[in-house]
Amino acid sequence: MNLKEFQQKLKTNKFLSNYLGIILLLLLVLVFWAVFKIITPGNFGSPDKLLSYLQSSLIYAVGGCGLYFICVMGLWDFSVGANIVLSSVLACYFSQQLGFGGLILAPILCGTLLGLLNGIVYIKLNIPSMIVTVGLSLIYESLSVFATQGQEQILSPAYRAFGSYPANLILALCAFFLAGLLIKYTKVGTYTYAIGSNEFVAKNMGVNVNKYKVVAFVLCGFFAGVMSILTISYGTSMTSASSMASMSRNFTPLMGTFFGLAFRRYGKPITAIVIGEFIISLIFNGFVAFGAPTTIQNVVTGAALLLIVTSTTKPVKGAVVK
Amino acid sequence: MGEEILKTVKINKSFGITHAVKDVTVSFYKGEIHGLIGENGSGKSTLMSMLTGIYSIGSGEFILEGKKLNVKNQVEANRNGVSIIVQEMGTLSGLTVAENIFLGNEDQFVKFGIKNAAAMNRKAQALLDQYGFHHIHASTMIDNYDFEDRKLIEIVKATYFNPKILVVDETTTTLSQAGRDELYKHMKRLKKLGSTVIFISHDLEEVIRMTDRITILRDGELIDTVQSSDVTEDDLKRLMVGRELSGRYYRTDYGEPVSKEVVLSAKNVSVPGQLRNISFDLHKGEILGIGGLSECGMHEVGKAVFGASYDRTGEVALADGTHIDSIPTAIKHNIAYVSKDRDNESLVINDSIRDNICLTSMDRLSKHHIILNKKLDQFANRYAKIVSVKMVGVGQFVSDLSGGNKQKVALARWIGKDSDILVLDSPTRGIDVKVKADIYALMSDMKKQGKSTIVISEEILELLGMCDRILVMKEGAFSGEFKRDPALTEEDFIAKMV
Repeated sequence: MNLKEFQQKLKTNKFLSNYLGIILLLLLVLVFWAVFKIITPGNFGSPDKLLSYLQSSLIYAVGGCGLYFICVMGLWDFSVGANIVLSSVLACYFSQQLGFGGLILAPILCGTLLGLLNGIVYIKLNIPSMIVTVGLSLIYESLSVFATQGQEQILSPAYRAFGSYPANLILALCAFFLAGLLIKYTKVGTYTYAIGSNEFVAKNMGVNVNKYKVVAFVLCGFFAGVMSILTISYGTSMTSASSMASMSRNFTPLMGTFFGLAFRRYGKPITAIVIGEFIISLIFNGFVAFGAPTTIQNVVTGAALLLIVTSTTKPVKGAVVK
Repeated sequence: MGEEILKTVKINKSFGITHAVKDVTVSFYKGEIHGLIGENGSGKSTLMSMLTGIYSIGSGEFILEGKKLNVKNQVEANRNGVSIIVQEMGTLSGLTVAENIFLGNEDQFVKFGIKNAAAMNRKAQALLDQYGFHHIHASTMIDNYDFEDRKLIEIVKATYFNPKILVVDETTTTLSQAGRDELYKHMKRLKKLGSTVIFISHDLEEVIRMTDRITILRDGELIDTVQSSDVTEDDLKRLMVGRELSGRYYRTDYGEPVSKEVVLSAKNVSVPGQLRNISFDLHKGEILGIGGLSECGMHEVGKAVFGASYDRTGEVALADGTHIDSIPTAIKHNIAYVSKDRDNESLVINDSIRDNICLTSMDRLSKHHIILNKKLDQFANRYAKIVSVKMVGVGQFVSDLSGGNKQKVALARWIGKDSDILVLDSPTRGIDVKVKADIYALMSDMKKQGKSTIVISEEILELLGMCDRILVMKEGAFSGEFKRDPALTEEDFIAKMV
């Protein structure tokens, strides 16, 4: 067997192609955990603390799952932050009226509808998704201001179950399971990849490209809605946003999506999103334990993201990266 | 006379002011392999694209088994028993092999909206095994397979359901011999089943050997349909071009000495996995051929000389000692490179002919960094004319052009740049005889002007006909060298190749 055949064999080996990505990610978790544990053994990384890191990463990972459908197609959705703000304030309001039913249904419905609106506007105007979603997010933000008159909305303590274990974990797992199912076991997943790979060929194969793009936006909105339930339950309060203040909420979920994209060739993107968010949470909390100022945390988190995605993505030499 | 299965009735198609297909009426019989030939831009691919739903029908009708056929996409065509293997890459990255095979046809595996991936993989694997492609795994990402394997997967995708009509659109040019044999096998299998194969190819020898009848198109019009057993390659060429092709097809001069002056020399050049320690000199006014099997590494030689190889070691230097280690250096020193992969590496497809021709000459065309359109137009028109590009105007997008015309645009760019050393990788791949003759004439002109050319080609006759000297490659190294000689035959050459 020569080297080329050996490489080909490695590439097409079933076990490796299935689990190598996950193994790599878990190794990264271990490395970051060990580094911070050595630096600040007292305030970092006990099992209790790990569970609390996981809690915040679960929230972001749910949003990351939604964004994954968008990003695979090469589209963007920068309205997720505004979606979460609006969905969360609605969740507060409707939980008062309808109890848990309102807490769950209102944000999911709101999120999904905003996703649908994103998709329809994108298809009808036929302009870049980035511009569409930035423009619309200003409108969604304003809606949140109108709805609350700028008042901070507080979730009643009676409805905070999804802010802690086990309810948050159950809800998040349901979301991950659903995302995984959609990607691997429905036409939506296949067509999402097909459109991302080559829209023209996909069209020739009878894929209704516009329809599945709208579906992706709807899914992204849906997962943002689910993320809103977790966000408001964990944070317990939400203030309306204006002048793009919600924009920063887009990026932590998006980082998880980047992990998913970088590891998609290993075939387990959702797992990669979840572990990826956990790694980011580890780094962030590691610096908190260390007592580093927030600015430094941001620098390191950003750098770590670039480093990890670069080291795991092995583009073909000369391939065009956009 | 066979039983008619498919008929095209007065089919037309226009793109803008280009009338690509004009009133074409042809009958295809059950159980025949039917060749479809013509120059680049003669309308054969357009006609077949309409049949298979890739393009909409301009006017006219396709009648399949007595019923009108008007499909909107390939999947619908498949459902009607019509499939196509396209010229370019027809598979999608990011999906598994199985997902590619059943793309658009997942419904058979979907129950209550849930796709049974395991069943899909099983069925795909069964098909792959049945075709003898055991090395391809259905559940693996298609990205892990090379171009050739991906074409094999396309063969499975296009033929597993025993279509009534299979269109093979210039697929063989991109395949190795083993891949071609696989394709031939399934063409013949379908023929035996009573299906019809429509075979588009520029390799006339292959067309005559494989087909029962041949239809010739020229400038979008039907010229004739002939029995394959009754015609020779020369007959077909005449029908395609509409005039006798004689005299200056290849060079006719022999025995003229080549200058001793070395313009470029490569020393101990290696590229991991591609080239092993190769060295050669290129002389002034020489046409140097490099030939061999497709995978012998010869295509990498072109990239290495142009500074485009990755991880290259060794040295490529000009006569004055300048080392060529990067593409900008190569271009600055008037080296030109035309890649085998025309659409991806050679041309900016979604841009105008003008911009493509002017691209490497921008410095010369700008004054104080300001570029005037008028100047670009003049420049592009001048060189497009020299290579006789068939076009509406230089503002036309390259994506609209046929393969041969695209290649002419690529050549015009480098002639405009006044290149001294031309590296042409497969310059006539997928190009019809008339454009071929034009390109050969250009090469001879360049030689007369004292310019040097390296021709890398899989077509042995082209090398024998055009080159002053030919280097044969095998497994990344040179395995033989021939001087220009009328007595040299293909057999001498092949002996060194394999």
